[in-house]
Amino acid sequence: MSQYLYIALMFVGIYGLLSQKNILKMIISLNIMELGLNLFIISTGYIKEAKAPIILFGNEGNYVDPLPQAIVLTAIVIGLGVTAVALMLARNIYKTYGTYEIDEIRGENDD
Amino acid sequence: MINPVLLIAIPLLAAFISVFIQKLSWVLLFGVSIFTAISGFFLQKGMFMIGGWKPPFGINLMIDDYSFIIIIVINLLFFLTLLSGMWELKKNKTILMVILAGINGLVMTGDLFNLFVFLEIITISGYILAASSDKYYSVFKYLVLGTLGSSLYLFGIMVLYGTLGTLNMADISQQFPNVSGSVKIISLTFVFAGLGVEAKLLPFNAWVKGIYGNTTPLTGPLFSTVFATGAIAVFGRIFGQILVPDSTLIFAFIALGLITFIFAETSAMASKKLRELLTFSSIGQAGLIITMFMIGGFYAALIQLINNAFAKTILFSYATKAYKSNGDDTINNMSGLFRKNVMMGFGFTVATLSLIGLPLFFGFYAKINMLQSAFALNMWIPALIILGSIIEGIYYIRLLVKLWNPGEEGQESSELAQSQFVIKNGFSLSLIAVLIGIIFVVSGIIPDFLTENIAKAADSLSDAATYLSTVLGGI
Repeated sequence: MSQYLYIALMFVGIYGLLSQKNILKMIISLNIMELGLNLFIISTGYIKEAKAPIILFGNEGNYVDPLPQAIVLTAIVIGLGVTAVALMLARNIYKTYGTYEIDEIRGENDD
Repeated sequence: MINPVLLIAIPLLAAFISVFIQKLSWVLLFGVSIFTAISGFFLQKGMFMIGGWKPPFGINLMIDDYSFIIIIVINLLFFLTLLSGMWELKKNKTILMVILAGINGLVMTGDLFNLFVFLEIITISGYILAASSDKYYSVFKYLVLGTLGSSLYLFGIMVLYGTLGTLNMADISQQFPNVSGSVKIISLTFVFAGLGVEAKLLPFNAWVKGIYGNTTPLTGPLFSTVFATGAIAVFGRIFGQILVPDSTLIFAFIALGLITFIFAETSAMASKKLRELLTFSSIGQAGLIITMFMIGGFYAALIQLINNAFAKTILFSYATKAYKSNGDDTINNMSGLFRKNVMMGFGFTVATLSLIGLPLFFGFYAKINMLQSAFALNMWIPALIILGSIIEGIYYIRLLVKLWNPGEEGQESSELAQSQFVIKNGFSLSLIAVLIGIIFVVSGIIPDFLTENIAKAADSLSDAATYLSTVLGGI
């Protein structure tokens, strides 16, 4: 049932993207959304009372699904890259317009 | 015969080398691009396992007739883009090589998560390239929408993984008809929304105007042809073959495609600037092609995809070059510009007429096949397609008249009213324009060579059984 919690966290991030007018807060919302998504992906591979998927001697019983964990590892790295580019853009927006507020940015499409 | 893995591995390797040897990076870039453009023709067809794991357990690359023709087109377009924008390369050479690897992988891959990774590679590279126009806020909007889109795509495929336990495209297409209705609707909606951002469909395309409208001679043709062709080709692969929507959703998707087409063409009619007009035309063409993929007219969709890609290379190269040389691309200020560079004017005119779909040009076969396959379905889809095409024809012909003919509308034209604009560094562009113009005219008169190959590609897209047996037959 914890999946619903993670989906809710993802929608908190999407709500933040829609409602916030500050660029840094939008980047944080983006990260919250990715966090919820990653937790959701992990939860799809969860099996109750199962062990970590590492083969050792004398280690018997169920394993959780390792594929979602590998996928989340990739998704985290991609999220890091996107955040880095987003911060670069935020810095450049601040240098150009002197503000992080979207409402105060003017004249981008008027040339 | 060339192993398709090389088309991904060699550009990536060259990108890593070019970080350390900056001086040789342009040699590497052009070398890699020529290699991929030529080796696309000699690609070995079939299924390729990565790392020795048989599908559906491992990742596989799939070269059937469909991805074969898309690979050829994309790599040729990438090379033409480099030629057109070679004065703009600057420090972007490494990113361009990464894009080449990503876009080849995007088209060839046979795994849904692998597709997500390649999609992220090209979109992140796209953000960095787009930021070279100094319109950082537009790029930020692109970044937010692009990340949201790929997150929704990932969510959709993870719902599928939780239900079916596999991410391999062939395996999923085999099991997908048996999935329960609600899971189908959730996963299809999220995957559609995710891919719709890159394919520029209507509710998800708020970023396009800021990015395409502020392009340079390098990024203009790159985004409008290479990226757009790759994204729409993936769209066709996924919704034409892998996750085929059933009757509840398919009309919603068709309606979105048609609304995109009509609204974008109407917006293009009202545009005063050349790049903005071409931007809306690109969105409209994407909507049209996706509609054709949705109603099952793969052959018509592929012809129009290739026709649009080659035509947009010329149109965007010319528009961005005109802006770069003069700092302005208002159409009224450009009257009579083609008198100064007739070769570019020839290429531009032929490309435009082919894009509209007039007879004697290659685009005619796209339009006539499109209407044939649409009329086979019902009456209102072809009516809307014809309406959009008429709007498109009006504004493109008005544009051509303006660009060839100096002077105000309704008055006698005179050389005095001719535009003061010039095109700098236009030699490579003239060459490309004449080349593509001749290809359009010749293939309009003798279309057999191109259409035969496109028909084979369309057949392989509609033939899911062969795809399945090629990928999963080894087990």
